[in-house]
Amino acid sequence: MTSQLSQALPVLGADDVPPTKMGTPVITFEHVTKVYPAQPNRPALSDVSLQIFAGEFLFLVGHSGSGKSTFIKLLTREIKPTQGHIYVADEDLSSMRNWRVPYLRRNIGCVFQDFKLLPNKTVFENVAFALEVIGKSKHVVKTQVPEVLRLVGLQEKLNKKPDQLSGGEQQRVSIARAIVNRPPLLICDEPTGNLDPQTSRGIMDLLERINRTGTTVLVATHDREMVDNMRRRVIALDRGHLTRDQDRGVYGFDV
Amino acid sequence: MSSIGYFFKESLQGFVRNLSTALGSIVTIFLSLLIIGIFLVGGSMIERLMSSVESEVTITCYVADDAPDAKIQQVMSTVEGMADVKDVSFTSKDQALENFRNSMTANPEILDQLDGANPLPASIDVELSDPQSVGDVAAAIQADPVYGQICEDPADVGDSIKYGQGTVERLFQITNYVRYIGIALIVILVFIALVFINNTIRLAILARRKEIAIMRLVGASNGFIRGPFLMEGALHALIGSLLAMLVIQLLRMFAIPALQNAIRFLDFSIGDTTYLVIYATLVIAGLLIGLVGSMFAMRRYLKV
Repeated sequence: MTSQLSQALPVLGADDVPPTKMGTPVITFEHVTKVYPAQPNRPALSDVSLQIFAGEFLFLVGHSGSGKSTFIKLLTREIKPTQGHIYVADEDLSSMRNWRVPYLRRNIGCVFQDFKLLPNKTVFENVAFALEVIGKSKHVVKTQVPEVLRLVGLQEKLNKKPDQLSGGEQQRVSIARAIVNRPPLLICDEPTGNLDPQTSRGIMDLLERINRTGTTVLVATHDREMVDNMRRRVIALDRGHLTRDQDRGVYGFDV
Repeated sequence: MSSIGYFFKESLQGFVRNLSTALGSIVTIFLSLLIIGIFLVGGSMIERLMSSVESEVTITCYVADDAPDAKIQQVMSTVEGMADVKDVSFTSKDQALENFRNSMTANPEILDQLDGANPLPASIDVELSDPQSVGDVAAAIQADPVYGQICEDPADVGDSIKYGQGTVERLFQITNYVRYIGIALIVILVFIALVFINNTIRLAILARRKEIAIMRLVGASNGFIRGPFLMEGALHALIGSLLAMLVIQLLRMFAIPALQNAIRFLDFSIGDTTYLVIYATLVIAGLLIGLVGSMFAMRRYLKV
């Protein structure tokens, strides 16, 4: 059965991994500095410049307090940079009007360590919620939600509530919610932080499959083993400074 | 227009899922509006009583026995042209005696002692559209030169004009104080209701801030986030105001007749229109409070 989603996101073989660092970048950081008013002498990010290209899969690594969360919050424009410019798909986030922010977020899927699911809605409703609140029609909801739940392997659990699922399954629901609108960029903040190694592996496989359909995936993580195994581009932050940007990199910190 | 359907579905679901907070805000709105409504009904009753007392204030201008009809007509048409005058009528000497006789049915022998003579003067009676201006109208009549010629004692024109000087001013002072106090009480009540309702709605929204955070995360526009909450606030307000209306209607049907039976010398009946106006005020005030309250309570959760 070919549905809208499969048509839009062609399944690629392992050899068809999109070439990295080609074409126009989807995300550009230009000398970005973020200083929180509470800590004026210690910038959370300091003069970070980098480019992320369409279809890349990259890890953002660093200790707690190294600026990973600030990096992600800047991308979703929960906060604005103190200095410098951030461009997402050619749009400057620092000069973006407030009312445009929801439209930016529709192009960015977000997955968090604590899942952020609504406990009193079913799996289906949780995923459908993401489409309903951006005004999609009932028809789109009815076709796209079961489709994306099949993609994450939860087609049997449509009517379960989140507390009836395991941690890994809940994270799959939150990934399904993040990609149901088919955003070109998926950001995951510690997606496996709460999960055991085997379940984490399953989640990373899922993220890799999503990446192969052309979605740019950015994963902030502490999980050394996972980063070392996957050998993707690694961006390392240390106390707000960009210390390493390496293709096919490893975790690299001595913990 | 699918979003209207979504708002409606979502606000109904929110209603069912957050039944306890929903009931809390409905009960708060209901009680606040009930108290305001009861005050409005009581206020209307007092206002009606006061205006019926006030409307009995008339000016009686006595006329000398030998006054020519032409001059009396002239004065009457002058007075009729004055501001705040509703009606001017003439009471002849015979009529005055007749009125006196009617009021003295308890002991008619008083009339026998008059020996057929009629000591009562004729008068021009003035009814007022605004009783509060009785002093001004009386002064204007007193200043009228033609009336000065036909009054009982041209040397002291004011003595022929009677409207309960002194007493009337005291009456108006009291009724005005009652009005000011009533308005102040209603303003205070509305303020208290606003604070209470705003607080309840804030709690209801606080309980759902996770939902709001997720809506923002997936890129719902602010209008879309606000929609169901506003609709829910309006729904609560509507139910609360309908309940308040129902209780006031019950009071009107059962409590007020009982009160009327107990206190017969006062008239507690107020018109259907007044009740309709009060009900409309309650619904509109409820909706406004619900919508504005939700809007204010939501503001801090919608900052990007």
